[in-house]
Amino acid sequence: MPLDRSDTAAQAASSAAVDTGSLGILARWDIDDWGRDATMVRAAARLANLRWSTTIGGHDRLPKIGGAIVVINGRRFGLTPWFVALNLSNKVGRPVRFVGRPDAAPFGALARRLGGLLARPDEVAGALRDGQVLIVGASGTFDPRTLGEIDHRLIGPAVELDLPVFPAAVAVSQTSRSARIEIASAVKPSPRRRGPLAELELTTRVGNRIARLLKEFGGARTGTPLDWLPFSGMGGD
Amino acid sequence: MAGRRVLVSGMGGDLGSRVAALLEQEDWVGDLLGIDADPPRRRLQRARFHLASASDHDRIVELVTAFDPHVVVHLSVWEPFSRASPKQARSLTNQAAISFLGAVAECRSLESLVVRSGIEVYGRARGAATRPDESAAITPTCEFGHMLATIERTAGDLGRRIGVPVAPVRLGGVLGPHVPSPLGRLLRMPVVPFSVLADPPFAVVEDIEAARGFVAAAGRRLAEPVNVLANGAITALQAISRGSRVPYPLIGPDWRIAKFVAELCGAPIPEHVLETLHRGRLADNSRMEELLGFSASGSTVEVIDKLYAWPSVVHVPARKQVA
Repeated sequence: MPLDRSDTAAQAASSAAVDTGSLGILARWDIDDWGRDATMVRAAARLANLRWSTTIGGHDRLPKIGGAIVVINGRRFGLTPWFVALNLSNKVGRPVRFVGRPDAAPFGALARRLGGLLARPDEVAGALRDGQVLIVGASGTFDPRTLGEIDHRLIGPAVELDLPVFPAAVAVSQTSRSARIEIASAVKPSPRRRGPLAELELTTRVGNRIARLLKEFGGARTGTPLDWLPFSGMGGD
Repeated sequence: MAGRRVLVSGMGGDLGSRVAALLEQEDWVGDLLGIDADPPRRRLQRARFHLASASDHDRIVELVTAFDPHVVVHLSVWEPFSRASPKQARSLTNQAAISFLGAVAECRSLESLVVRSGIEVYGRARGAATRPDESAAITPTCEFGHMLATIERTAGDLGRRIGVPVAPVRLGGVLGPHVPSPLGRLLRMPVVPFSVLADPPFAVVEDIEAARGFVAAAGRRLAEPVNVLANGAITALQAISRGSRVPYPLIGPDWRIAKFVAELCGAPIPEHVLETLHRGRLADNSRMEELLGFSASGSTVEVIDKLYAWPSVVHVPARKQVA
């Protein structure tokens, strides 16, 4: 029995199977090392685009290769990290995953296929070492202009691995089609700190930066009268 | 470094004989000895082989201590429902671990111990890491995982006691044309059940790649665990589609019936395969290059494609009945 095998027969058989099988379309879907399904992500992004017209700013700040964390504000029950990951994936042309998926079927399974990771520091560290871009959401709030709590344990791996952490503000209108994602430049950890205080301080500074971004967004009541109109692409409620 | 004496326990199995065939090609290997309850599955040139049952402690101790190996590759692990029922598999694996690991502890020349393990040791409890790396905690949640974790723990204790590096090689589900894999057997059925609500991704490894992993770990005197599996992942539904099988969606309680029917059809579903189909099974293989000197050459999808391309066993009746 030879130790090396010819792949020709296997390739021929499998391509024939895929071409002729009634479920061939499923076979061509590509699951990556983390369980993300690019085809399903594209389909979900298309659905999201039907609902929202999203403006993304600062995406060119994200690295073309290598790991990074984008920290965002979130609305309660809003699935904001899912929404941002889908839109950023399309925009930057590389997989963007979100942290904080449930782990029970069927929602956990669906979230994993859309690029979800569990909110565990070791999971975040593994994905960052693998060169992935991750969206970490603050805890959800009812007020879209208020920032919830950011879990510093999820930011810690980026500090350990010396990878950039980007603050980003997200405004998604519930009534109109407008949505906006604004990514600021990376916040670096303080060089004075060598221990766990570095990640705590970094998290605070990232939170402050997001709060400032949200303030800069303005609200429906503070913008020009044009912003009050629905479908204007900016502002909204 | 040259002229090392290497002992392979479980040389009779598909993986064992592949490892032996690769070890025969290594410059650093001098004498090569194999012990198993079954003869090797392929022709070996240099290796010497002894038939011994896992429960035959005295004979195994006698053979191993007389050989006094420098490197031991412990492959005597029975996967549940591969060639034995789960109860038999656990019993045989435990007996083999006691016999071989106990015997090698008495060998003065021992320099390295490589043991077969699997990514089942990480467990798939709710909230468990999606893609654990080698540093993840060992918290198995299935019988096979517990069996492998016990071997790792025993080998680790032994290594610390006698001061020998131990390398557990944690394999994904092993598939190959001659590997009696319960997962492979199930996926090749004409109708294959899958969990319609979860359909999670899993990763596998081809037997050739797994064998390379053991040989590299032995050659490098590896002293830490390493995950060995193919890149990428696949879900059961995708695998079924690639093999042009009929998918049979299941939700929950009907799995009991599916297990019973599959067993009647000759493809029993052990606990760890059921867990794979419900919760998925991935692991981080990014340290293969650093620890073993090679990275995964193929993807899980390619291994699954090969699984469907490998010919089935054809039973040829004897031309002349003699009994």
